[in-house]
Amino acid sequence: MTALLLGALGLTLSLAVPKLLASARWPDRAPVAGVLLWQALTLTAVLCALGVVLAAPEELVRAAGARHPETVAALLFSLAVAATIVTRLVVSLVKVTSRARARRDRHRMLVDLLDRVERHEGLGGGEVRVLEAPLPLAYCVPGRNPRVVLSGGVLDVLDREQIDAVLAHERAHLRHKHELVMESFTAFYQAVPRPLRSKAPLDAVHLLLEMVADDAARRRAGHAPLRAALARLADAVPLAEEVTADPEGESRRRRLARLDRPGRRSTALAVAATAAAAGLLVLPTVIVVVPWLGRALNTWPF
Amino acid sequence: MARNDLEREVMAKLWDAREPLTVRQVHDLLSRDRDLAYTTVMTVLDRLAKKGLVVQQRADRAYRYAPAQTREEMTAGVMLDALSATPDRDAALAYFVGQLPPEALKAAIEKAARNIER
Repeated sequence: MTALLLGALGLTLSLAVPKLLASARWPDRAPVAGVLLWQALTLTAVLCALGVVLAAPEELVRAAGARHPETVAALLFSLAVAATIVTRLVVSLVKVTSRARARRDRHRMLVDLLDRVERHEGLGGGEVRVLEAPLPLAYCVPGRNPRVVLSGGVLDVLDREQIDAVLAHERAHLRHKHELVMESFTAFYQAVPRPLRSKAPLDAVHLLLEMVADDAARRRAGHAPLRAALARLADAVPLAEEVTADPEGESRRRRLARLDRPGRRSTALAVAATAAAAGLLVLPTVIVVVPWLGRALNTWPF
Repeated sequence: MARNDLEREVMAKLWDAREPLTVRQVHDLLSRDRDLAYTTVMTVLDRLAKKGLVVQQRADRAYRYAPAQTREEMTAGVMLDALSATPDRDAALAYFVGQLPPEALKAAIEKAARNIER
């Protein structure tokens, strides 16, 4: 019974709920809690999978009546499956983080060499680098020795206040270590067998992290400069005609929309989503513990 | 002076020069306004060559150094590198501010790169 419940919960959490959460718009109003909820959802699904694998053989054996060799075989098999799941996740995480680190190290070396020092005097911060390129591009390279990279195009199309807003946005990514969140979701995505994979959590979390950084930048540099910078950076790029499908257009619209209505951020939603995240995490444990507690109470001598 | 700064300045001198430079020439250009050992410049050039950023040519019994790519080519390469890491293949290398479709940005960079080549 426990295994069935855990299995049903696991399937719901890995198939139905992500679809709902990915299409929901309320997390835009409480992005930090939204990220927490995604993390809890993913972790709970993994716990459920492990729970099913470990609980099922024990229950089957109990139903069939215990005979020694089969019990041992079933138990060994389930332990092997559980170990495979855990190993896959760990290997994936190690691979993703080490590959990302190597690429970032090389990238950092190159932007350091290409840096136009004279163009970012007065922008503050030793981590800013300016590339000589007319295309407006602003990004950060996370890591122990992070960089915020601006192209000359950014400095040309934005005024000082807007540049500060962009820097504040990128520094928020770096300060809050958003790369660790993205790396863990990427690792999970790659550990899941190909036919079962879904990109929805990756995209949703990525957008929510942008919103978290937007909120930090808005608090630091003001709401109007940030909004103007976001709009102007996107408009300044001459779009090639062949690019018609615009998957990022929707996320950009959502980010701008929430900056237009700053009053719509909701503490109540944040609290509710955080509570839901915590509830999700303890759910598998409850499912395992409650039947055991029931049995224990039945055999209570009073 | 930090090692990174020196590497950057050496690259800048090589990029600004029209032709491959000898260690002596780079040293002369850099030591106009500071005290810099000849061997330091040699070490830096050697390190850049090992990283594949600079190519070494032998001419008239002296080694000459030239950048492996122009500044524009390398800049375009770096920007494409940052744009090409999508989270499902690799953890994102970088986090962008004004989210544009990466394909659009790539097309723009490649177009600019083609214009340079002409």
